[in-house]
Amino acid sequence: MRNPYEVLGVASTASSADIQKIYRKLAKKLHPDLNPGDKVAEEKFKEVAGAYDLLGDAEKRKRFDAGEVDESGAERPQHHFYRDFAASDEGYPYTDNSGFADFMDRDDAFAELLKRSPRARANMRGEDLHYRLPIEFVESISGANKRLTLPDGGTLDVKIPPGLVDGQVLRLKGKGATGAGKGGPGAALIEVEVLPDHRFTRDGDDILLELPISLSEAVLGRRIRVPTPTGDVTMSVPKASNTGTTLRLKGKGAPHRGGGSGDEFVKLKVVLPKSPDPELEAFVSSWTKGKEFNPREGSLS
Amino acid sequence: MIMSKQEFLTSSGVEAPTLEFWIEQQWLIPAQIDVGMRFSDTDVARARLIQDLKGDFGVNDEGVDVILHLVDQLHGLRRALEQLQRNFQGPSR
Repeated sequence: MRNPYEVLGVASTASSADIQKIYRKLAKKLHPDLNPGDKVAEEKFKEVAGAYDLLGDAEKRKRFDAGEVDESGAERPQHHFYRDFAASDEGYPYTDNSGFADFMDRDDAFAELLKRSPRARANMRGEDLHYRLPIEFVESISGANKRLTLPDGGTLDVKIPPGLVDGQVLRLKGKGATGAGKGGPGAALIEVEVLPDHRFTRDGDDILLELPISLSEAVLGRRIRVPTPTGDVTMSVPKASNTGTTLRLKGKGAPHRGGGSGDEFVKLKVVLPKSPDPELEAFVSSWTKGKEFNPREGSLS
Repeated sequence: MIMSKQEFLTSSGVEAPTLEFWIEQQWLIPAQIDVGMRFSDTDVARARLIQDLKGDFGVNDEGVDVILHLVDQLHGLRRALEQLQRNFQGPSR
């Protein structure tokens, strides 16, 4: 084996951060499982990995620099990479034919060859089965475990990830139709239908809610309980709120994939008491400023 | 070699909650039998690939998802190509 510094192409004074950076860069390019057809890559990768085993570890590097150990001790034990199995018949549960499924559908000699291959027929992956699963709006935000009853009477447990949107298709590998030979089963493709909710609507990762408030809550302000998909929270309605006033509940929307959440927007709607109230009538008729205020000012022709 | 869940955890050095997450993500699909899960050499090698990606390469979970999906497709394509090559050579083999 060559000098590990030469293998990685770094100076013997390189910092450990630099060594890690160079190693990652080389390893990503050379990893045998990312280069399944390249025999040379495996040899190079082993060399690079061995060099990094020595130089990536501060203690070992010190001993190497001091001449206490030589590079021969740095060879990684032989192991089989994933590609060795993926290429054999044992690798079948993971092999995905979607990369050329469209070629097989074509009506030409190439497609015929693919279809005619006896092994493809004998070991064809089972068909993907399509299902539809309606879920409640709240479940689409907070996530849920659902059980789907299949036409043949069986059941399928489906995990709904938080933040799912209407029409999203969940793919359950291996839950489709049984394949032939070693072909393995296909996938279950589950289209999730988010049922409309009488309170919430969704806009991207945000959730919109129209919330009725009383006249006194609008005029004087008050802390009120507000529903969110993950339970009720308390929110302050400020003094002099109006129909259309929109308040934001930060982070109470749908979760983003990869962290964070949208917001819930609460649009207020002022609602008068259901039955006429003499006291309110008396107050409003003696309320001069109220009569002077014309909300339609400028909107009439 | 076929191993049980416990044997798999020991030989791969993967922690039990990590393994659960991987299975949930369908990065690993061990065979299910009456008394639990069975792991093949293929699963062990695939676990090592995931460890390399996450550990040495600094790939995050989202990235692992994408890479595995593409690697699986790549192997599907390689098989198809190999089959085509055989068909061209004729059925004698």
